[in-house]
Amino acid sequence: MAGGRNSLTERVLDTPEDDLERDLHTEHHVLNMGPSHPATHGTVKFLIELDGETIVALDIQVGYLHRGFEKECESGTWYQAIPYTDRLNYNSAILANIGYCMAVEKLLEVDVPERCLWLRVLACELSRVGDHLTRCGAACLELAAMTPFLYGIEARELVWDLQELLCGARVTSNYIRIGGVKHGLPADFAVACRESIAKVRALLDDFEAVVTSNRIFVDRLKGTGMLSKEDCIRYAVTGPLLRAVGEPLDLRKDQPYLVYDEIDFDVPIGEVGDNYDRYLVCMEEVQQSLRIVEQCLDKLEKLGPGPVNSEDPRVRWPAKGRVFNQMEELIQQFKSVTEGPRVPEGEGYLAIESANGELGFYLVSDGSAVPYKVRCRPPSLINLAPMPLMLKGALLADLIPTFDFINMVGGECDR
Amino acid sequence: MEDHGSAALRSLLEVLPDTVLETHARLGDATACVDPTRILTVLRHLRDEPGLEFDMLMDLCAVDFLGSEPRFEVVYHLYSLAHKHRVRIKARVPEAAPEIDSAVSLYPGANWMEREVFDLYGVRFTDHPDLRRLLLYEEFEGHPLRKDYAKEKRQPLVGPGN
Amino acid sequence: MPGSVIKVKRQEKIGWLERLYVPMIIKGLFVTGGHFFRNLRGFVTGKNRTDFVVQYPEERVDYPSAFRGMPVLVALDDGLPKCVACGLCEFACPTDCISIVPGELEGARIERYPEAFDIDMSRCMYCGLCEEACPEEAIVMSREVEISTYDRQSMIFEKENLLVHENLLKRRIDFIRGDYERDREPPKSDV
Ligand code: SF4
Ligand code: SF4
Repeated sequence: MAGGRNSLTERVLDTPEDDLERDLHTEHHVLNMGPSHPATHGTVKFLIELDGETIVALDIQVGYLHRGFEKECESGTWYQAIPYTDRLNYNSAILANIGYCMAVEKLLEVDVPERCLWLRVLACELSRVGDHLTRCGAACLELAAMTPFLYGIEARELVWDLQELLCGARVTSNYIRIGGVKHGLPADFAVACRESIAKVRALLDDFEAVVTSNRIFVDRLKGTGMLSKEDCIRYAVTGPLLRAVGEPLDLRKDQPYLVYDEIDFDVPIGEVGDNYDRYLVCMEEVQQSLRIVEQCLDKLEKLGPGPVNSEDPRVRWPAKGRVFNQMEELIQQFKSVTEGPRVPEGEGYLAIESANGELGFYLVSDGSAVPYKVRCRPPSLINLAPMPLMLKGALLADLIPTFDFINMVGGECDR
Repeated sequence: MEDHGSAALRSLLEVLPDTVLETHARLGDATACVDPTRILTVLRHLRDEPGLEFDMLMDLCAVDFLGSEPRFEVVYHLYSLAHKHRVRIKARVPEAAPEIDSAVSLYPGANWMEREVFDLYGVRFTDHPDLRRLLLYEEFEGHPLRKDYAKEKRQPLVGPGN
Repeated sequence: MPGSVIKVKRQEKIGWLERLYVPMIIKGLFVTGGHFFRNLRGFVTGKNRTDFVVQYPEERVDYPSAFRGMPVLVALDDGLPKCVACGLCEFACPTDCISIVPGELEGARIERYPEAFDIDMSRCMYCGLCEEACPEEAIVMSREVEISTYDRQSMIFEKENLLVHENLLKRRIDFIRGDYERDREPPKSDV
């Protein structure tokens, strides 16, 4: 695909100071890294033009995981797109579920019961923890620190076990429904969750003990992959990357959705915006998310049992108990399944704060039961775009931690 | 045309009334349909006007309204960090000449998003520094998110058999 | 709104202890050694195991009740499927991997039944929408996940291979029944 672009930039070596180099006939070297490289977790190809070990220019080629998400959504009902959203960001599938379902609810103007809101926040924060742990753990692995990776992944495993308990699958949760969630909390969830949180906290302590002030780790992160605040804004970078430069944009605070305005949590920000700040911001966000999970559990206990699905007949799949016994409900079930909700004509954009930044869904409906357009604003793709800027003049080795903390997830980036 | 209580729409209607074709604020999203040839004027105004300061181009995408003319709609979602408000700008471009000015000079982040729209819809962005396909490969024929591209269609280089 | 913006504690300078490597190596060894001996003790004594890895396939984990494995057809005591070939699961499936040929049995307990019922497991994505759609509780998500084969053709499961007796699926059926009355009187177990 490089198609005749051997030199990504013009060679500028004709100044007198470069005599020595001209004598040596040094040439820029174009290195092809990827699409499947062991030091990058994500299928992406880098074309790197190197001067010695310094990066002169970088071309990123994405799209290896393009599966036609948007096209696929346009061929089923509004319901049938939900499992596909699982497969966007496979580290935090529930966040994409919630984003999509909330966008459809916005178009339908459906309200969901309070209990469901708290359940959604709980699910949201669990997957945020999983995502950040993957990011930090994998970054350690790719910087050759195997042990913290295992601690991070063990903690993530605990979180994913909770997700399995709640949703029925570790990764592809398919838990959120238009107008509600699939089912309420399982009986033993609260106890298991509190136990796991304690274990995750202990593992995080160990993780930080071996990494946070480890000289090798710190030296490789500090001052690398810097992006100024102005550039972040010009490139619409969001999420931990933006917060690491000291800009506290967090949609959970700035445009509170679900019940985030009733929850007590802090937004961590960094100072200079290098990879070390990104690491610290992510680790602090994990702690904050665990705090939110605990608050959700308390609140759910206080709320007591109650409905978790909207009663709106347009989106409701009737409870099975009634389908078996009542003719009208059976007919309703047939209608809901074969046709699904007819979403009124119009358009809507809804953004939530995913683990990578603003995850937006822009939906257009032509009034039928099939989505006319499902656009997902992928934070990984948009955060990846300024990567050449972050690495201009950096060493090749800096590419690895920078790419790790951008946390490009193939499924979401390429859709 | 009304401003629907949105500062951005009000300012657009006051300063650049001839660019705005339609406004609405359904579901709480302030929206303006504008003249595609003046898109850069509109975006620059929204970005630089004190009190609006839409400094982030959050999203840029396109929608294909097959059968109506102009066929393609390019949609911009803007966000302001300082004022925490949003606005949606839409511009329709015709099928015969699907071209619109590139926003890269105002928002460098538009670069990849415009490449993606070009890739999937075939809308060309004039003055784009590097208009290549983003997600698909160079040899791919056609633009898959257009409504007249069949979902089952296979391209020679991908998929088994054909 | 409670909560606020906090600044992360960034160590601008790493202390001389950290610069010397050796004390940090010892500290690291304490952490990893702690894990190692704790795991070893649990593994040897078999009590309070803290090692996370399961020695599959000798050991297996117990999946929770909500777990979604491969979709299967519920068989009744007479070995016939509970399914009435209404086709709802076919409609609900996003990947079109279910295909049903309905048939009729004269004089049987339930007249309609599926003459053929295939699930193409190479396309199934374990989403569980078929189970949710079924008005007869006839297709449920089993706990079976080990279905790999050497070719694609044998990934198409036919009716005979999909039938599983009701009693073997009891746990899953109980789980979905717990959800039956979700919007009227939620089950007691709900927190
Ligand atoms: S689990 Fe999902 S993909 Fe598989 S058969 Fe059922 S509906 Fe289809
Ligand atoms: S929905 Fe249930 S009863 Fe209807 S065809 Fe499918 S399995 Fe059979």
